[in-house]
Amino acid sequence: MASFITRRFLSLVPVLWVAATLVWLFMFVLPGDPARLIAGGQGLDPKVLESIRAEWGLDAPAPLQYLSYLGKLLRGDLGTSYVQRRPVALILWESFPPTLFLAVAAVLISSAGGLLLGALAALQRGRGLDTLVLFLALLGASTPVFWLGLMLMLLFASHLGWLPVLGYGMDGAVLPVIGIRLPEWDHLVLPAVTLSIVSLGATARLTRTSLLETGGAAYLTTASAKGASPWRVFAVHAMRNALLPVVTVIGLNFASLLGGAVATEYVFAWPGLGKTIVRAIALQDLPLVEGGVLFLTVVFVLVNLAVDLSYLGLDPRIHDHALGA
Amino acid sequence: MSPGARPGIKDGGRAAALLLAAMAVTVFAAGLLPIGCARTAPGTKTEQVFRFRLREDPPTLDPALSTDNLSEAVILNLFRGLVEMDPETLLPRPAVAASWTISPDNLAYTFRLRDDVTFHNGRKVTAADAEYSFRRLLRKETNSPRRWILEPLAGAAEFTEGKSDSLPGIQVVDDRTVTLRLSKPFAPFLGLLTMTATALLPKEIYDDPAKAYLRAPVGCGPFRFSRWEQSNFIELLANDHFYGGRPALDRVVIRIIENHQSALQEYRAGGLDSLDEAPSPDTPEVYKELEPEIKKYPFIATGYIGFNLGLPPFKGNAALRKAFNYAVDKKYLWEVLMPGGDIPARGIIPPGIPGYDPDLPGYPCDPEKAKALLAEAGYPGGRGLPPVALWVNTSESNRRIAQQIQADLKKIGVNLAIREVDWGAYLKAVEGTKDTPGEAQMFRFAWNLDYPDADAILRAELHSSNIGPQGNYFRYKNPEFDRLVDEALRLTDPQARAELYRRAERIAVMDDAVWLFLNYMQSYTLFKPYVKGIVLTPLGEFRIPLERLRIEKDAA
Repeated sequence: MASFITRRFLSLVPVLWVAATLVWLFMFVLPGDPARLIAGGQGLDPKVLESIRAEWGLDAPAPLQYLSYLGKLLRGDLGTSYVQRRPVALILWESFPPTLFLAVAAVLISSAGGLLLGALAALQRGRGLDTLVLFLALLGASTPVFWLGLMLMLLFASHLGWLPVLGYGMDGAVLPVIGIRLPEWDHLVLPAVTLSIVSLGATARLTRTSLLETGGAAYLTTASAKGASPWRVFAVHAMRNALLPVVTVIGLNFASLLGGAVATEYVFAWPGLGKTIVRAIALQDLPLVEGGVLFLTVVFVLVNLAVDLSYLGLDPRIHDHALGA
Repeated sequence: MSPGARPGIKDGGRAAALLLAAMAVTVFAAGLLPIGCARTAPGTKTEQVFRFRLREDPPTLDPALSTDNLSEAVILNLFRGLVEMDPETLLPRPAVAASWTISPDNLAYTFRLRDDVTFHNGRKVTAADAEYSFRRLLRKETNSPRRWILEPLAGAAEFTEGKSDSLPGIQVVDDRTVTLRLSKPFAPFLGLLTMTATALLPKEIYDDPAKAYLRAPVGCGPFRFSRWEQSNFIELLANDHFYGGRPALDRVVIRIIENHQSALQEYRAGGLDSLDEAPSPDTPEVYKELEPEIKKYPFIATGYIGFNLGLPPFKGNAALRKAFNYAVDKKYLWEVLMPGGDIPARGIIPPGIPGYDPDLPGYPCDPEKAKALLAEAGYPGGRGLPPVALWVNTSESNRRIAQQIQADLKKIGVNLAIREVDWGAYLKAVEGTKDTPGEAQMFRFAWNLDYPDADAILRAELHSSNIGPQGNYFRYKNPEFDRLVDEALRLTDPQARAELYRRAERIAVMDDAVWLFLNYMQSYTLFKPYVKGIVLTPLGEFRIPLERLRIEKDAA
């Protein structure tokens, strides 16, 4: 198992290299002069632009710029943001936690809700509740997050006044040592629910399908024959075996939520990573875009690894089949 | 990642626990919902807090590096320079300098500093701080896009190039006296010194190689920096020792909210005391509800469509440019299509700026005149006109305006294409280089005056010495225009200067039609009724002095 994890980490290296190169290339061919964007403003002295190019190494030929970028990466240096003039690593470190908290909350809600609704639908297969769940799942999966977020905001915050309209809050607890602020809990609810809706639908549908597939399995009949109660047969035998594909989907959802919460962050003014990267793209803040994409690549690979490892807990036999260690 | 063979029966305790946990979380999440009701903090003492919105984090809080109004919105409250601009009259007035004298040859400016100014770190401000801050702005390594403000100082170029370490343009006479010497008379110089880039900075903070000051700025303004949480908020606290008297506000919270719709809901819900984007009359219910809270006031900026005089078909064809001007209905654009917005423009210098010409005829919409001029330009009925594209950067309002202009030009037989691109690509196509015109033939742009003087738009945008990225994107070159603008800089009599600017503007507008003149801009800002002491200013909503504001909510 240790060698499995080591191999997975080693496989990160080529993935990161390809990602780094692609992002660098994309940003490089984008029209627009980075020096011009660093300087900002209207009407500029060409001499200032020249010395900005020199300061940031933008006057070097493209291959050299690429090599110095890779060289810095190898030393673990993600560079300095053109716009903020601070280390990219620091900016990512500040904007990742809010996204993480939001994604965790959203995954908890969508998993819990999805499993519950999916199980109910499977139990009530073909009846009204089943149809309703399927319909809601479809609706959830096809609702634009942006619109949904605004509607939830209008109803629960503007109209009913139960929840804050937006924001992360200024007075959440600060985690000791790392000094990161937690969101205020009431501020978290609307964005987390908004973000969870899409994957909630998917999780519910998959849970239902998976449960129905296992439903006819012989081991369930065996379990009933042994005298297990229908509840035990469902909750223990059927649910557990139906969980594997669901866990995969939840894991992948989680990974994509970490990078793809942009619309939700935008509507609710949530100070997260997605928004930071999108804004960096708009400002052509190359180092920040590159660092952000690399960071997300690592996170994605790690979450996938965690999902694979979680199979071990759910089904130890996978150890032999899939990991081959 | 397929789960392989169908698993058999094993101990099910963990799965059951998982399910239970899942249910528990759902219940917990549902239970969270009503928590938000009681949000009002228990009232200990009535703290005066003013909360306004910025649409994104300011790019920088370093006065020497900022060029945008978001950064200035914060910098203005933290820093002060020798002089500041009166937000109403737009004239320079004393700040850290209590008074100044100008030598008869208009070359030497001697400032007498106040005795009671301290930085937020407690240290007293002296004349040496002015020298340090100005040298920092000019130094090549600082790479300040606003370096040009101090370029009129004697010896500035040599200093910047690194040819000399001394800067004869700045002389510290004593602790409270500093003299600035220019290499030639430059009438708007005092006005330039009101810009945030020339703010006074404490050396002990700003010489830090680790640049901690980027996130912990120290100035001598009415508020001091407290906290900045990325994409969340910036918090300022009252400077108890501000030389102009402690502000009435105890705290200023600047909230970062990108989405306009969300910000509007937050304002309605009471989470903001002011909002820089008022609702549009396009959304009648919200507009009606908030109309009494909307403040409208002129903003010193002019919107236009620039013609690229370096490219066909506009190169050397003033009749064509005039035809386009007469074809477009500016009144319809700003009164019907984009209502509650800006004022139709007749020219370049916006109202409020000395030199603004209320009698300038401009180009009122007249399709017949436009058709005649189009024929005179060599393209009767639009025949023979090469393809023309109007460039805009991506935005909903740009698109609507471009489409209306397209429709208006269609009426005189001109087929206009619209190119909508991102900001970076747009700038590249518009600015070109010193020697080569950009790719855009026509482009929508707006110019904010960096300082309230006609020089800040006529010279910056249209003087032939600024062709290229420096501001003259149109590559306009008219010796008579250049001469008038140059001469205006040498005069000090405001009346005479204004007259020269009026004459220069007439040349660029009525003779040469360098732009398609669109709009004089206005600011629209929401303020809650309990916010008092608002000084509206043509410098824009972010230049409203916060040290004058106070909150007067009904005592509960």
